[in-house]
Amino acid sequence: MGSVPSQRTAGGPEPVLAGFGRYAGPATLILASLADGAKHGYALTKDIESFSGVRLAPGTLYEALARLQAQGLIEPVESHDRRRPYRLTAVGAQALQAHLAAQRKIADLGLRRLARSWGIA
Amino acid sequence: MTSPDGAGRRAARLLRWYPKSWRSRYGEEFAELLIAEISERPRSRARTADVVRGGIVARLTAAGLCGCTLEASAQVRASLVSLGCCVAIFVDLGAAMWSQLTIGWQWSEPDTAATTVAMVMMSAAMVALLGLAVAATVPVLWSAGSRLARGRHPGLLGPAALVVACAVIMFAGGRHFGNGWPGTGGHPWARQGLVPGGMAAFSWASTLSVSSYWAHPSALASFPAAELAWMALSPLAMAGLVVGAAALVRRTELSARVLDYETRLGTAACAAMAVFLGGCCAWIVDGGPGPRNLFHAGAIDAAGTVVMTIAFVAARQAARTARLGTARAR
Repeated sequence: MGSVPSQRTAGGPEPVLAGFGRYAGPATLILASLADGAKHGYALTKDIESFSGVRLAPGTLYEALARLQAQGLIEPVESHDRRRPYRLTAVGAQALQAHLAAQRKIADLGLRRLARSWGIA
Repeated sequence: MTSPDGAGRRAARLLRWYPKSWRSRYGEEFAELLIAEISERPRSRARTADVVRGGIVARLTAAGLCGCTLEASAQVRASLVSLGCCVAIFVDLGAAMWSQLTIGWQWSEPDTAATTVAMVMMSAAMVALLGLAVAATVPVLWSAGSRLARGRHPGLLGPAALVVACAVIMFAGGRHFGNGWPGTGGHPWARQGLVPGGMAAFSWASTLSVSSYWAHPSALASFPAAELAWMALSPLAMAGLVVGAAALVRRTELSARVLDYETRLGTAACAAMAVFLGGCCAWIVDGGPGPRNLFHAGAIDAAGTVVMTIAFVAARQAARTARLGTARAR
């Protein structure tokens, strides 16, 4: 599969999300959601649903949150509420940037080829 | 709409799928999310299935069988404990089969090449597992012993005492009941077998509880009371030994080097288990029919092999997770 090596950009950060396996999708959505500020579990679910149309189930959401936290990509925010918010760390922001840049390259390439061979712009 | 109380109760029920350590970390916030989800969509089989799956994954992660959400050394320790439990189950069942076969060989050699090769494979693997168990035990006992000697033993004394007591019971019982068996090399009719008779006898007596006699209560009733008591006590002693050893590994602050060393031994143990299983399968396929055949494989052997295969698969997974943990710790 070519997607994993393609995440490695020359001189860029290590493809941290490559090690997430089947959680790479939910992890990307969570990081993208947290990119504009801290959110708790339910707010994350609603935000992700609004921008991607994907509703992350609670078990999947918390598996991905636990993995992201263990990798130091997100961190919990002190809260007196039972709903604990999470925020992106600097490492998480870098990992998300590298991952999305790699995805954009693939998307650009695919769109160019579609336009050339199929006439779909 | 579901009432807040009803949603809370359902969330609490769903939360039980997760292990205690996970609940103490994420329980409150996860329950809040579940309550919000249930209030919005009261019925969702997909959500229930997802939470159940997540709970199982969290339990496997806590047992060191998958994932990488634990702190690296905690993950290695959890994996090693699971690996040790799997190896103990494997060795207990494997030793029961192997000792029956080696005792048979005290009387006559197998009459097919396949069973002979199978027994050599099983014997070599059993010796390797024994050596690996000794090599794995020494650093743990050393670390635990040195902490106990220095008075730094929060929670170590109980498991250490349990391990010693259960090991003494297993050794004394194995020796006592092994000496009572005529076909183990000490008897003048018995010929020299593949392994020393005493070793076969000890292995047989230690695993006396792994027996198809449990399914035949009338035959079991004719056994001497002491033997029946040993059949009931020895699994408890074995379980105590494993539980005590697991607690020692969890509570002794083993260095990264020792954890790495133990992980390598665990990987080697998996290879020995594979060799033993290979021999075991060859014997079961080749073993002649009829209870009068010394090398006949019965239903209990086939069932034992299935359980050993499951233990092997779990041990391999634990060894893999331990390796990932040691790599993260470096």
